[in-house]
Amino acid sequence: MNATTHDARPKRSVKRTLLILFGIYLAGLIALIAIYGFKGQRNNIYKPQDEFKLENWVNLGIFSINKAVVYLFLAAALTCVSMIYIARRMQQRPNKVQTAVELLFQLMRDNITGSSMDSRTAARWFPFIGTLFLFILFSNLVGYIPLPTNTSAKIDVLGVHIPSFSIYAATANLSVPLALALVVFVSYTVEGVRAKGPIGYLKGLIPGGVKGAITVPLFFLELLSNVMRVLSLTIRLFANILAGHLIILFMAGALAVILGATWLGWFTLPFGILLYAFEIGLVAALQAFIFALLTAIYLGGAVAEEH
Amino acid sequence: MLASLVHAPLAASNGSFLIKPSIGLMVWTLLVFGATMVLLGKLAFPRISEALERRQRTIEDSIETAERTRAEAEQLLSEYRERLKEARAQAEEIVQRARQTAEAREHEAKERGHELVAEASKRAQRDIEAATKRALDEVRKEVVELTILATEKVTRKALDDSDQKRLVEEALGELDFAGLSASASRN
Repeated sequence: MNATTHDARPKRSVKRTLLILFGIYLAGLIALIAIYGFKGQRNNIYKPQDEFKLENWVNLGIFSINKAVVYLFLAAALTCVSMIYIARRMQQRPNKVQTAVELLFQLMRDNITGSSMDSRTAARWFPFIGTLFLFILFSNLVGYIPLPTNTSAKIDVLGVHIPSFSIYAATANLSVPLALALVVFVSYTVEGVRAKGPIGYLKGLIPGGVKGAITVPLFFLELLSNVMRVLSLTIRLFANILAGHLIILFMAGALAVILGATWLGWFTLPFGILLYAFEIGLVAALQAFIFALLTAIYLGGAVAEEH
Repeated sequence: MLASLVHAPLAASNGSFLIKPSIGLMVWTLLVFGATMVLLGKLAFPRISEALERRQRTIEDSIETAERTRAEAEQLLSEYRERLKEARAQAEEIVQRARQTAEAREHEAKERGHELVAEASKRAQRDIEAATKRALDEVRKEVVELTILATEKVTRKALDDSDQKRLVEEALGELDFAGLSASASRN
């Protein structure tokens, strides 16, 4: 009897907190509509895609340093520093962070790499696949931290003009996943040719058991699908991250700015927070996992005896 | 003025840059990714892998040791059980033997007791018989003498010893002392 009252109390308090929050939300909505009106003035100046526009910060021709390059360095630095830091402090009895990293490491080594190819190939290619996973993961995650990177719109803080805070990710730029996907393509093609010879590798593209006249069109189809892998790898990662950022951007205020309705910003804010949590908690890791897993599968398929 | 403000960004950013790959950025990506891979491959992955393997080995060693210890313990236990069984059997044997010895002793003692009792009772019987006999002899002698005295008094004449005695003996011989003797031995 005592226990039930103890159980009921936190539930009721959570319910009450949610009710209070919902009340504030509703009151804010009504107040904003009352103050600024329901109908907004359409804004044609603001372009949400400009949030992803790259401005040259240091001009080096085509190698100019822009926001994407900085994010690449940021992601790489975070990957290297955190992994090397943890690797140097590996304990026999791990703490929580080490346990998490060990789980991640085992996921990369055993589940992504080990399950897709024989152990010799896995040992050779694990550093590549592991780095791919971690690099994309950190790149995605860094992308959700608001940083003062929007140099086209500065805010004035005590007389100092600092770039406004925005979220951006290197992986939300087509070039970055495309470069990685090309590396993957080259890697598994080279590995396949090395394992079976150029002719053997091309023959291996034809599915086993196929004979006769159908082999020729099938061969070209398979060749095409190999090339399409690059595009699918690239676009899956790029589009997921870009769409995630865009929708967070819209929910966090861009919609209100474009439609000029102040209440809309307040209305969409909770959805923005939920989507932010969804992106950071699931999409960031999932996309890195998928990219690395597909890479491992392609590599394993390239060296496998039967296609 | 307003029109130009509205139109200038429209012309500048129609969004196509989002899907236009940039060679420079791709090269940067390759460089940064390559550097990351080299760093991780040299400094992070081998250490983590080594640490995990070391732990794996330690765990395997521990399991092995534990299994060996358990096997040893089981062997020891079975040995001890065996010994305990032996000891119990020995103890039982000892007790059995002791009981047998004790029973034999008891039996012997009983036998001996019976013998002693029998001997004692035989001796007692003999004594009683001897005593009875002696008493009867004395009684007889007394009776003889009394009879002689009585006869002398009656006949006023002394019989010579041999005659007297012969006569009395003859008379007494006819009397039955068997009943007296029997009653004496029963007492």
